[in-house]
Amino acid sequence: MLTMGVDIGSTASKAVIMEDGKRIIARQLVAVGTGTRGPSEVYKKILEEAGVNRSGIARIVATGYGRLTFAQADRELSEVSCHGKGMRFLCPRVCTVIDIGGQDAKALLLDDRGNLENFIMNDKCAAGTGRFLEAMSRVLDVQVEDMGRLSEKSQNPVSISSTCAVFAESEVISRLSSDEKVEDILAGIHASVAKKVSGLAARVGYRPQVAMSGGVAKNKGIVRAMEQELKCGILVPEDCQMAGAIGAALFAYQDMTRHESAADERAIYRKGEKDDE
Amino acid sequence: MANLQEKLQYLKEVAGNPGKQLAQYLRQGRQVIGTFPYYTPEVLADAAGIVPMGMWGAQTEISQARKYLVAFACPIMQSCMELGLNGTYHGVKAVMIPSMCDTLRCVTQDFKLGVRDIACIPFTYPQNRKIPAAAAYLKAEFTQVKERIEEIYQVAIEEEAVQKSIAVYNEHNVQMRRFAKLANDHLDVVTPIVRHEVFKSAWFMTKAEHLEIMKEINDSLETLPAHIFAGKKVILTGITAEPEGLLQILEDQNLAVAGDDLAQEMRQYRTDIPEGDDGIGRLAGQWMNRTDPMAHDDEIKRLELLGNLLKDNDAQALIVCLMKFCDPEEYEFVAYNKYIKSLGYPVLSIDIDQQPGAYDQARTRIQTLAEML
Amino acid sequence: MNEQNMNPAAVQPDQAAAPAKPKRPKSKSQLMAGALLDKAYNDTMEARARGEKIGWATSLFPQEIAETLGLHIVYPENHGAAIAAKKLAAPFLEYAEAHDCNNDLCSYAKIDIAYADIFDCSPASNMAKPDFLLIGNNGCNEITKWFEVIGRKLEIPTFMIDFTYNHMPYVTDSRVQYIKAQIEQVIEALSAFTGTTWDPDRFAEIMRVSTENRNLWEQVADYLELQPSPLSGFDLFNYMGPMVFTRGRRETGDVMRQLIAEIEEHIKNGTSTFPAKEEFRVFWEGIACWPYLSHNLKTLKKYGINVCATAYARAWSLDYTPGDIESLARAYAFTSSNNILLEESVRRRKEWNTKFHIDGTIYHVNRACKVMVCQQQELMRQVSEACSGLPYMSFDGDQADFRNFSEAQFETRIEAFAELMRKHKEERRNG
Repeated sequence: MLTMGVDIGSTASKAVIMEDGKRIIARQLVAVGTGTRGPSEVYKKILEEAGVNRSGIARIVATGYGRLTFAQADRELSEVSCHGKGMRFLCPRVCTVIDIGGQDAKALLLDDRGNLENFIMNDKCAAGTGRFLEAMSRVLDVQVEDMGRLSEKSQNPVSISSTCAVFAESEVISRLSSDEKVEDILAGIHASVAKKVSGLAARVGYRPQVAMSGGVAKNKGIVRAMEQELKCGILVPEDCQMAGAIGAALFAYQDMTRHESAADERAIYRKGEKDDE
Repeated sequence: MANLQEKLQYLKEVAGNPGKQLAQYLRQGRQVIGTFPYYTPEVLADAAGIVPMGMWGAQTEISQARKYLVAFACPIMQSCMELGLNGTYHGVKAVMIPSMCDTLRCVTQDFKLGVRDIACIPFTYPQNRKIPAAAAYLKAEFTQVKERIEEIYQVAIEEEAVQKSIAVYNEHNVQMRRFAKLANDHLDVVTPIVRHEVFKSAWFMTKAEHLEIMKEINDSLETLPAHIFAGKKVILTGITAEPEGLLQILEDQNLAVAGDDLAQEMRQYRTDIPEGDDGIGRLAGQWMNRTDPMAHDDEIKRLELLGNLLKDNDAQALIVCLMKFCDPEEYEFVAYNKYIKSLGYPVLSIDIDQQPGAYDQARTRIQTLAEML
Repeated sequence: MNEQNMNPAAVQPDQAAAPAKPKRPKSKSQLMAGALLDKAYNDTMEARARGEKIGWATSLFPQEIAETLGLHIVYPENHGAAIAAKKLAAPFLEYAEAHDCNNDLCSYAKIDIAYADIFDCSPASNMAKPDFLLIGNNGCNEITKWFEVIGRKLEIPTFMIDFTYNHMPYVTDSRVQYIKAQIEQVIEALSAFTGTTWDPDRFAEIMRVSTENRNLWEQVADYLELQPSPLSGFDLFNYMGPMVFTRGRRETGDVMRQLIAEIEEHIKNGTSTFPAKEEFRVFWEGIACWPYLSHNLKTLKKYGINVCATAYARAWSLDYTPGDIESLARAYAFTSSNNILLEESVRRRKEWNTKFHIDGTIYHVNRACKVMVCQQQELMRQVSEACSGLPYMSFDGDQADFRNFSEAQFETRIEAFAELMRKHKEERRNG
């Protein structure tokens, strides 16, 4: 049975198709999100990759910011639930998931069975999110994708103390004009984001294993800074950006099989009746 | 049933159109007094035939109020200042503002000096209620309020009238408590939005008028067979749970409000005005008896209150409607969050604001809670 | 500061930090003030170790009560300021925010609520664990809720005096009676709880000593009237510790007298503790930005801006009749700008602006302090108008949370403000 999960975020649209809730047979990402061509494009592409059309998919679950307007979904679920489920699939022993997306950051706590136990989302504030890093990348004139690699060279990380994104930007600018090295400033920015986000983790009551998901998790500098704050290792699975879509596909599968097992139960009951007669 | 729906629809209109209510009262030649959050001796105004109208702000952009209040001030205060400054409250002769928290302290001054066409009647509740002298102080404070109302509105507030109003207000309390109870057996009719409209409308009508409608609504509800609600039930706590867009999310997620400890809603109706000799003394007594975060208390009775609300109403979770920048509520959260979780209930916090905007994050949070339950 | 005029034996290098540039040595009075404060913290620790009950109090709570009963008290607000000034606040702020404390709470409160779990802030002085709390809400309402949290956390009693908010230009009789009754009740309950005895004669004596110290404090502040001032107004922030902690003790008078002697010496020699030529004299409105004191001073000094008046320091200038509880009640109820009507705040500032020949006002928009900030906008306009268009500026900061400040913003605005004041002065000169 094939199920599809679609995660329509603020900055990217992701989709996966899974077989029997066990294997990922197709994965697609389009780098634009809700309200753009992203959702429809990723939908088209994923079907193409899997070589099926809509009728070949048993159920579609949508998640993310844009889940409410994705017409093809059979059901929509919050990205918190889906991220939790998806990350548990990718890291079977994970208990804490930290997701830093384009517009928000969240920390999830999973119980031993992988169900959501607690969650915290950041307040309306750019400072611990991908948007903040984008703003910083413009000031420093580097590519966001290179930030992690560049910061590795840092010998003397600079301290960026402001939690307000606007203040932090002016701090960065003043550091640049004082001839501080870009890699040192980057390390400082990463530390600043890590401080903010690890605050969320602390509030949710984090415990190992800890994993990160979301686009920002690809930034090794952020991950290292987070490890320093949380004082434990952090897993970043290869498919972490797809975690939401994976979780959605898994929920879709769960919906279908729960349905089936309920039908099975009814069949057994009726069989029992027949035997009694 | 048709009558019930009519009444609920009427209250819905009142709740959604305070401006229209104000205009109507003024046309009828009634005088109106504004009451700021969230306890005032409005009985005194009512006794003189003045209509008290609650000032709970509105979903509005802030521009003029920025001259008085920073962006990190209480959203209700920001919007009340805005509405005062932009003339929305025009026709209201005075407002009563209790200095219950730091921001309210300042707003008594901001409003007084900024909104020139409306008189400001500030007063201060005693926070140290354990001591007998507190009652004498509050009586003096209320007397001062009474005198200012008389002066501004050119009325005389007679003792007999005050006693009559007290009786009406107490009766109203009874009906509101009755409604909260009955609502839980009729969650198909009393959805989160309907429930809120019933409570909100009380702020924009005289208590006597609202009382009559509540009696009819309650009597109607009583005749209906109990409805078994299929979704999950939650308790709300905080200052307000608005606007309706937020409550719609609860409805979308098949969550019902089975009880509340909201300043705008049940906090108003839990404590009756006690017996006593004189009206002002009785009104003072009501403050002394309240369980409220704005008064100083060593033990936080709110823990017991919230725990009981959850237990008694078969609710599954507590949703904290945390008014942004509301420090008294933020401090109380430190105490009750741990306690409620220790009882085994999930606690979800959502930010309440009054800036018109999307509720995407609130939707995600509430939806996730619903998915967890 | 001219080192030739210092007693070389008294000058010691600054031990608090490892600076890149050599800091100017502390004056004898500063060292005495620091020592007095250290002693207060230590004495409290030792008292606790002896089995005596010690307390934490709000900074504007009548210190005369505990002092009369012989009880040792420490002050969480000053403690938070010290932690912030020594740049040790980060772990406390993070701890608090990780334990249900909303980011929006007062930064002193956050530090203290964390401290009430951790109980170690070395190298800053530690506060002994309290057995009781003394709350006065004349500074703000928020502190009541903060102390309630501490009280519940540590399971200790709170003794509260509600000073109410004054929307009349005087303390009404009903308030005085209410406050007086609370004071009497606190005296009774606190002495019973701590097993101490109330001595009215000692009470009167302490009020006398406090009045003496108050007069000395006023005298110090009044030196800022001189043009140029022999004192950097920022220095007064350094003496707040003793004024809060020990203003009922004779030793505080010694510190003030030493400071006065030093100031007199400066006057004689035509020198000042202000490290530049005084070009502009300003009123600093609000609490100091403790983590950025030296940055702020450096920036102000660059433009010759001396802080010659503050409202904050004056709050501890209480005027009452020794032995008279009612006058004590009135004084404490009406001293802070945070619980009096705006008109009175404006009136005081107009008086101070005139007295201290002020060229402009700097408003600290303190993220941690809503009670100050939410009437500040109107205060700015009214004070300026009352003082013939006196220039003013504001900047965003925080008393103890170092994350809520931008050095660049402060510097840019101060630079512009200096220009504004220069223009205004010229216009006034030219009539």
